[in-house]
Amino acid sequence: MDKNIYERKIRPGIIAARALIYSVTTIVIALVVIIIVYLIKKGLPYINWEFLSKAPSRLNETYGIAPMIINTLYIVFITLIISIPLGIGTALYLAEYARPGKIISIFRYSIEILAGIPSIVYGLFGLAFFVNTLKLGSSSGSMIAGSLTCALIVLPTMIRTTEEALLQVDSTYREAAFSLGASKFYIIRTILLPCALPGIVVAMILSIGRIVSESAALLYTAGVDYIMPTNAVKHVTESGASLTVQLYLYATEGSSPDWVPYAMAAILMILVFLINLTANIIASIFQKKVSAKS
Amino acid sequence: MSIITTTNINLYYGDKQAIKDINMDIEKNEITALIGPSGCGKSTFLRILNRMNDTITNCKITGEVIFDNINIYDSKIDPMLIRKKIGMVFQKPNPFPLSIYDNIAYAPKYHGKKKGELDEIVENSLMAAALWDEVKDRLNKSALSLSGGQQQRLCIARTIALNPEVILMDEATSALDPISTYKIEDLLNELKKTYTVVIVTHNMQQASRIADKTAFFLYGDLIEYDLTSNIFTNPKNKETADYVSGYFG
Amino acid sequence: MKVGLKEFLFGPVWDSANEPPKYGILAFILASFGSSFLTVLFAVPISILVAVAIGQLLPSAVGTVLRSIISLLAGIPSVIYGFMGLVFVVPFVQRVFNLSSGLTMVSAVIVLIIMTLPTIISVSETSINSVDKSYLEAAYSLGVRKEYALFTIIIPAAKSGIMAAVQLGIGRAIGETMAVIMVAGNIPQMPSMLKPVRFLTTAIVTEMSYATEQTRGVLIGIGLVLFVFIFIINSVFRFLIKKAGMIHG
Repeated sequence: MDKNIYERKIRPGIIAARALIYSVTTIVIALVVIIIVYLIKKGLPYINWEFLSKAPSRLNETYGIAPMIINTLYIVFITLIISIPLGIGTALYLAEYARPGKIISIFRYSIEILAGIPSIVYGLFGLAFFVNTLKLGSSSGSMIAGSLTCALIVLPTMIRTTEEALLQVDSTYREAAFSLGASKFYIIRTILLPCALPGIVVAMILSIGRIVSESAALLYTAGVDYIMPTNAVKHVTESGASLTVQLYLYATEGSSPDWVPYAMAAILMILVFLINLTANIIASIFQKKVSAKS
Repeated sequence: MSIITTTNINLYYGDKQAIKDINMDIEKNEITALIGPSGCGKSTFLRILNRMNDTITNCKITGEVIFDNINIYDSKIDPMLIRKKIGMVFQKPNPFPLSIYDNIAYAPKYHGKKKGELDEIVENSLMAAALWDEVKDRLNKSALSLSGGQQQRLCIARTIALNPEVILMDEATSALDPISTYKIEDLLNELKKTYTVVIVTHNMQQASRIADKTAFFLYGDLIEYDLTSNIFTNPKNKETADYVSGYFG
Repeated sequence: MKVGLKEFLFGPVWDSANEPPKYGILAFILASFGSSFLTVLFAVPISILVAVAIGQLLPSAVGTVLRSIISLLAGIPSVIYGFMGLVFVVPFVQRVFNLSSGLTMVSAVIVLIIMTLPTIISVSETSINSVDKSYLEAAYSLGVRKEYALFTIIIPAAKSGIMAAVQLGIGRAIGETMAVIMVAGNIPQMPSMLKPVRFLTTAIVTEMSYATEQTRGVLIGIGLVLFVFIFIINSVFRFLIKKAGMIHG
């Protein structure tokens, strides 16, 4: 019989679909690689110790990002101090204590909605409440006001991921401990939290990434100053620009030579990559441990 | 007259050989049953017959499968066109999440049938699968609303819609209740007038009820292949005898 | 002076510095909605194609590499997107459309598309990959090529997950502030693709620092409008996703 009727023929429609899929994918991948390589290539040569360790000076026309690095660290640190206990506490309550019911499901839905609110709305709230009403620190924003605002931003995600980590802990552990007469709090302290720890740590690292990337909410809550802080404690109430905010100002105002925003963008990007990489590594180690156990 | 002939078929998953040098003729317009304990290679062998193993990575096949005077493993051959002629029904009913009508019309449409022909194809296929009377008033309902047995007959109808020459069935009744199973067995006796049917089954009663010929597989070898009555009443091989008498499996 | 709700939501003119000031945010609402809509209109089809390539068609090792390259985009701060928009997109738009300035709505949309891609790709890929594998197997057994089966069966079956991706994309696009303020020109006027526009989010940033008591109240009103919009979008999608999930069981 005729062999040709079974011969491989790929129809034009299929060829067109393949062409479309692969060309779009190639363009997207190329775009990502170009953006990343371009920024790092343009910014990296300018990154040196002086740039990292000095404050910018209008007078000498030198540029440095040390105050911005310090401000970013302050904001990350204070935000975590505020949000970790609140986040873990709320997640523990939701996962372990709350009885399922209408109020809890409304509460959960609110957390979900809050997670989707644009950060600028949080910024507006932070300006109106923390800066103008409570008058925390300087009137042009402060580390503490910016951090409180950031805490509001990261809390919904932190609560959700921590709760997920808690719920993933094998329930037989809990039952075994209960059957031995252990109290709920003892079980939480000795079993639940240690087992859920990697998940919680990943949630925290991702929150750090979120805070480092944040800009809209910080512009008016943490401020735009770039003076080197002199008093470590007092700086909590002083205003200061984060790396992102300062990058925004340099990029839009054109008040600096061209290379400055590139160098800052490269630093920020490398920083965020490292943060995400750490989170991924911890998550994958954790996953391996879990799959090895079962 | 044989419709499919395999010569020296071997299949390897990586280093492991799962099918060993199988030579087999499958007769036209008959029901051939492949039996054997789980892991014996009967399903793997079935999937060799329409190149369904192609989708598995790290799987190597040597030997020839002759169908329609061609070797379906020839490099020029398009497995898609082979599968159009040698259809397959799976263990778990897997209708598409589409309407009953669209499930049947899906493949004919893809293979170039005109819109005007589809109504007739759908009706004929559903009739051939003994499902028409049950679904004719709700062709636009989702196929997932059917019962398991109906879904499996829908899958048979979907295969028939391409007017194949051979229908391969991989434990097609093992997930069904006895009444649905009986209906499908009945249907197969009807279908073999038009098509050739190869079934894999772990149910020996089923093989003895409906198959014309039966092949017994063990550890990737074809141990015995004969008329069904011989396999079940007068096997030549001791392992076959042990298996069909329920000694192991 | 109080600002009426109707005048606030549907007033076409925003002039907070004038005496008396005008606080109509219709232009911002239209700009935010228009740009979010256009963003998902382009980002979703692109994302589905990329998701299909890395999750279904390419060898899994290649897919893994490409997936991690794309995930790098997800963590980049929005000011960097804005900065890249300023460096690449704005001059590009200016040249292509022969404008005096490239700070336009279309630049903002391009930046938003790039920003939303990683999220939409990853969520759609997960949902496409989790569609029942037996659908693809059924398609193969009918001689249907994977590409066709993907577009006719698999992607429609992943509808609810893809809708969740659309929801995330709209949320991100409507809430984005710094990236778009850097490339959109930020002039309060009725939106048009090739003109500078101001969005709900960027209106807040622009006026926040030097706002009078009354303007500040109006800005909080804009924040509330954003909140309500996002609430409505989430609720609508929650309903749609539930409905789509029910169809497929």
